[in-house]
Amino acid sequence: MQGTIDANRPDSYAAANRDIIRVLLRPSVGWLALFLMSTAAMIYGGWCWYQQLTWGMGVANVTHPNMWGIYIVTFVFWVGIGHAGTLISAILFLVRSRWRTGVYRASEAMTIFAVMTALLFPVLHLGRAWQVYWFFPYPNQRYLWMNFKSPLMWDVFAISTYFTVSAVFFYVGLVPDIAIVRDHSKGLLRKLYGLLALGWRGTGQQWHHYMGAYGFFAALAAPLVLSVHSVVSWDFAMAITAGWHSTIFPPYFVAGAIYSGCAMVITLLLPMTYAFKWHDYVNMWHFEQLAKMCLLTSGILTYAYGMEYFIGWYSQNPFEWAIFSWRATGEYAWAFWIMVFCNCIAPLAWYPRSWRTNPWILFGVSILVNIGMWFERFNIVVSSLAHNFDPATWWYYMPSPIEWGVMLGSFGWFGFWFLLFLQVLPAVAIAEIKEMIAAPVKGSLEAA
Amino acid sequence: MPQLNRRDFLKALGITGGASALSACGLDDNRYLTPIEHVLPYVVKPDQITPGTPTFFATSILSGPHARSVTSRNREGRVVFVSHNRFATGRPAVTSAEFFELQKLYSPDRVQGPSKGGTAVSWEDGVKELSAAVQSAKASGKLVAYLGGYKSGAIVELLDAFTNGHAVYWEPLGYDADVAASEALFGQRVLPFYGVDKAGYVLSFGAPFLSGWGDADLADRYALARDPNVGHSVVRFALVSGHRDQTGVNADDWLACKPGAEVIVARALAAKVAALKGAAPSLVALIGNVSLDEAAQASGIAADALEAVAQHFASMKGVALPGGANGSTDLAVATYLLNLAVGEPELFHLGGYQGPIHGYDSVERLVADLKAGRVGVLLLDDANPVYALPDDLGVADAIGKAGLVVSVSSQPDETSALASLVLPTASAFEDWGTEAPRPGVHLARQPSMTALYDLRSLGDVLLVAGRAAGLATPAAAVDGEGEVAAAPASLGFGPTTWRAYVQAWWQANVWDGGGTFDAFWEKSLIEGVVGGAVQVLAPTPAATSYAFEAAAAVGGAHVLVTYTHPHRKDGRYANQPWAQEVPDPTTGQVWDSWVEMNKATADALGVVTGDQVEIAADGGTVQVGVQVLPSAADGVVALAFGQGHTGAGRYASVGANAAKLFSAGKDGHGATKWAPMSATVKATGARADLVSTFSQFGMSDEQRNFGVHVAADKLADVGDGEAHHPGELTGIHHLELDQRLLDKNITDFYGTPDHATYRFAMTVDTNACTGCGACSVACYAENNLPVVGKAKVREGREMGWIRINRYWEEDVGGHDAVYFVPMMCQQCGHAGCENVCPVLATYHNIDGLNAMVYNRCVGTRYCSNACPFSVRRFNYHTYTWPEPFNLQLNPDVSTRQMGVMEKCTFCVQRLRREKSAYKNVEGFTAVVPDEQWRSVPACVEACPTQALTFGNLKDPEGAVSKSRLSARNYMPLEELNVFGAINYLAQANFHDDPTAHHSGGHASEGHEASAEHGEHGGEPAGHDAAAH
Repeated sequence: MQGTIDANRPDSYAAANRDIIRVLLRPSVGWLALFLMSTAAMIYGGWCWYQQLTWGMGVANVTHPNMWGIYIVTFVFWVGIGHAGTLISAILFLVRSRWRTGVYRASEAMTIFAVMTALLFPVLHLGRAWQVYWFFPYPNQRYLWMNFKSPLMWDVFAISTYFTVSAVFFYVGLVPDIAIVRDHSKGLLRKLYGLLALGWRGTGQQWHHYMGAYGFFAALAAPLVLSVHSVVSWDFAMAITAGWHSTIFPPYFVAGAIYSGCAMVITLLLPMTYAFKWHDYVNMWHFEQLAKMCLLTSGILTYAYGMEYFIGWYSQNPFEWAIFSWRATGEYAWAFWIMVFCNCIAPLAWYPRSWRTNPWILFGVSILVNIGMWFERFNIVVSSLAHNFDPATWWYYMPSPIEWGVMLGSFGWFGFWFLLFLQVLPAVAIAEIKEMIAAPVKGSLEAA
Repeated sequence: MPQLNRRDFLKALGITGGASALSACGLDDNRYLTPIEHVLPYVVKPDQITPGTPTFFATSILSGPHARSVTSRNREGRVVFVSHNRFATGRPAVTSAEFFELQKLYSPDRVQGPSKGGTAVSWEDGVKELSAAVQSAKASGKLVAYLGGYKSGAIVELLDAFTNGHAVYWEPLGYDADVAASEALFGQRVLPFYGVDKAGYVLSFGAPFLSGWGDADLADRYALARDPNVGHSVVRFALVSGHRDQTGVNADDWLACKPGAEVIVARALAAKVAALKGAAPSLVALIGNVSLDEAAQASGIAADALEAVAQHFASMKGVALPGGANGSTDLAVATYLLNLAVGEPELFHLGGYQGPIHGYDSVERLVADLKAGRVGVLLLDDANPVYALPDDLGVADAIGKAGLVVSVSSQPDETSALASLVLPTASAFEDWGTEAPRPGVHLARQPSMTALYDLRSLGDVLLVAGRAAGLATPAAAVDGEGEVAAAPASLGFGPTTWRAYVQAWWQANVWDGGGTFDAFWEKSLIEGVVGGAVQVLAPTPAATSYAFEAAAAVGGAHVLVTYTHPHRKDGRYANQPWAQEVPDPTTGQVWDSWVEMNKATADALGVVTGDQVEIAADGGTVQVGVQVLPSAADGVVALAFGQGHTGAGRYASVGANAAKLFSAGKDGHGATKWAPMSATVKATGARADLVSTFSQFGMSDEQRNFGVHVAADKLADVGDGEAHHPGELTGIHHLELDQRLLDKNITDFYGTPDHATYRFAMTVDTNACTGCGACSVACYAENNLPVVGKAKVREGREMGWIRINRYWEEDVGGHDAVYFVPMMCQQCGHAGCENVCPVLATYHNIDGLNAMVYNRCVGTRYCSNACPFSVRRFNYHTYTWPEPFNLQLNPDVSTRQMGVMEKCTFCVQRLRREKSAYKNVEGFTAVVPDEQWRSVPACVEACPTQALTFGNLKDPEGAVSKSRLSARNYMPLEELNVFGAINYLAQANFHDDPTAHHSGGHASEGHEASAEHGEHGGEPAGHDAAAH
């Protein structure tokens, strides 16, 4: 597959319709296998959580001082993944970056499902998950109210807002494409897609309103990209714990989120492009842009890592310095160096153009970045708590099988939704692709 | 109903409404799996029970030398707590042992009724069987014998009458060597009294006197001597021993002695001190001629160190304490002589326990009688020789040869399992009795609750059986209802009930004849104690010579030292979950046995902490895990007694029984011999299943000022009060605050919480804390803390709200610095936890408490992450209390659901009860004046050494406010500005001067900064601090 903006453009509207719609509702053996695996993982994760609900939090290895473990690590990981989609669809739309067209639909879907996955964790890490509704401001006769000073409360609103806006933006973008699918379907499916298409007929007036609304939603979603992960970072930065209590966290978390999100887009879309033979729509040029985005954010992260150490040393705060020096040399040093290798060193392979356009290197490094970003959160959450202020309480936390199971289940849950999406909704924005093709001229009109 | 009038209508409405309300109760959909309980009011309210209101009984729980007058708190018919009796002399204190007795009362393994050969019998039949056996024993000239632990007062008289003097009061780790030494020197089998509170120097040869050894108040007398504000000096504590237990790690100077050489050291020191003090020639003759060089050579202690000890001992009013479990009569005699050499009767006299203490020789005689078939009836009580003695004595076989073996203990153990007749008797909580811990002091024991099961008093059993067997003609009838004109000298078996016996005994032995006896008896039951002053009975040696056995250090690569465990003691509390779960003070180990050895010894064996070793000695072999700790001298391996039960209940079968390593033996004076011995230690290659609550990532506080000491000599003459600046002597260097900020008083973004009347606060004096763990156990008892078991402790899930941090810094200026720092919720003014809770389950209340609403908690556990002290505890599971442990649950505190965070709130239930009670009397807006405030948290109430002080920070005259001005004051993590309510007082020891590391300028900066911290804390104490 070629790597330029102009290469391999579909030659007509009809080809675009055909190529994208062709894959819908036709599960291949590979898809089925992946889907069954995801579903199985999801069910296993659900069973693990059921164990936890029945027997208590004790089936997880969280314990004092490590009251948070890989549930929160994975939560932050998925919130981070949920960043790239809206960044690509909204911010790149606003700045009229042309390479978003091919990849934005799938990355936006990834965002929605990643946030849906992330939203599981605040519930399933609770000691009393059945009381989760206490997080919400509902009127009650006992005048119970929530604590708006708590960063967890901010989380509730930041993530639910982000999820709502992203989902609406995703759906708005889908409307013209669903109409195309409707027009190519028969029977009950036509009715279903027709309902989802909200009566879209593609008139000039509809397009006029539509583009206005789309721009509006893009503008609304753009700041949320920055806010939501800043708020998540405050879960840590606002607590007094050494290794968390740092003003660098919001920008550092946002950069990390974009980094992991873009890497995840590469991880998901590269196989998808090959599997669906969509080289006309998503090609190496797109992946190269994503890789460059990763390179930029990797640099920011590396700077942030260094800056944490600098501040730890420069502030002369013994607790800060102890936690940072221990993180790199103590019992969790393996996790730290995995993070450094995956996040700071591995992406350097993308500097040569020939390497970053090699699909194997692209895919391999993107997997490493995903692992590295999970370990970044592991380092922050786990190692800071393990060596808290009082040396008499120091601990070494490793997840229990139940925790691994729930985490696996979260990947299954994500895979379940994403794979389902690939089968029922166009994963490339057909209408926008058509904008890039020369308009059909009467006479040479093919059956559309 | 056309005739329905208004009144009938209302009646009908009331009935139907009430009925529907009642049926609604039955419609509980049981969403939270809570059992539906029907609460019914009393038709006839029992005396002394007002639901929701505790009733207090003055009584005593421990017996023999350890007896102490306590108050038991009864709620709805069940004793739920034990605290200090305010009528008793001495400072308020309860040891962990009393709480273990409380839990023992509710042990699920208790024997619930009389049985014969395993089948239940009625009490009438059981006692009849006993009396018939006694009668036939009497007829055939056989003995009626009793074997039990130390007892004093009325029961001894009755037991001696019942057995015709063949009662043996013996404990495996008891005081038989001490009384044998008294007998040898003074001709009296009594325990000495150690006036440690008057001493300037304490020299111990290993006695665990900070965990209940000696007498009930000995630890507190040490704390008094240690308190720089009492007499303005700090007692110096030196230890001569091969191993440091919980008591030993509190020593300022550890003179690591080769085990076995302690007697030579004690004698050499005695000779030196006698020479320094110019003691009488008769005393010098008793000591014999042992030089310090000789002692140094034998013990491995440097001669000049011994010289220094002798000088200190002679010049600073020294008191010497004998060995612990490893001691011997010789060592006790040598320490007595050392004390006599100083010649101060108030430091050492014979005013200790006078009750019967039998030696190993008595047990041996009993065994010989048993083997010879001379014993017709054997009563077995709470001494457990089958478990506690080496097998080669053959106790178990011997017991089988008795005519009738009767167990009168309601707790199962290895020895009472051999009994054919079980007549379980009431515990101290359920029974009458008397105790006489010292001459001139009598404690009354009364039932604090009815017996939990079908149990009778031992006294009643003996009286009924004795009378039926015709053991003595009844004296003048004493039925307990009326006053008898003159109690007979011996009560015999006259009184019809044990209660009447106790009353008559009290009349004969305690009443001074003033007023009426009825009034005196009533007063005795209310106050629980008669007398209290220490009677100084000056010691005069009756002996002119004493033959010391030849003593030398034990040879061999490894020397086994065995010691008394501060919780399990001789094994009697091994079946109490609290005694297993509250961590060992020095190692943090729970639910197991372990062997302590130092790094050099472990390295030579090629083992690390947690590896299993096999210890083989004279009597047997055990396999235990290794705990590497600098607590043992080179080559010494130390193993605690008290574990490895095989038949003492469901919780006791953990660890290894150290007693089975020995072969049976006694020293030259008939005392039980647990002397250090050569042992073969080898690694098995396996890992042991050791679980410690302590961090496995180092032992020190990493220079974080959790454990802090000051130089004790800096406190001389002035204590830590007015002449110093707050925290001046701690050497903690605070960063300076920017003067521009100070000028504008904007050191803090948020305002300090406003406390109108109370800011409840606590002071923890780490100088007084000995690490004994009584506070922790009291907290378990008061706050319904669940016991989670070994597997869950391994996962870090222990629920103790008080964590006694032990910081151990090796070789600081030639000493190991060991700090015990009790760490509980600091009730911060700016708490990390409060802000982060999303549902406001934890908040700062008006009294300064960091309150916790359990039912509001959803379990995010964020609060725990944000707590710099890591003192919050989480309910990982649904914890249950096997019946009947649930009867001990404190009704004032809810148990917590799975998934809920919990923590210390200064026993808020007690504080609220007092405030409410005051309001009931004085009006709704009334507040208890500071000087009338009485409630304290359970830990403060228990602490045997007054290390914890509770009070109101808003009261500038209060003890806590004043302690904040102490030169020893410090607050861990003060730089985090959380403004905790707990301040700590540094350990005052003789190691080095921490302020010496700073220049003078730094030190003064330090106290200025801390004064400013106090000021913006907004508390009166802080303002006072700033005024300095």
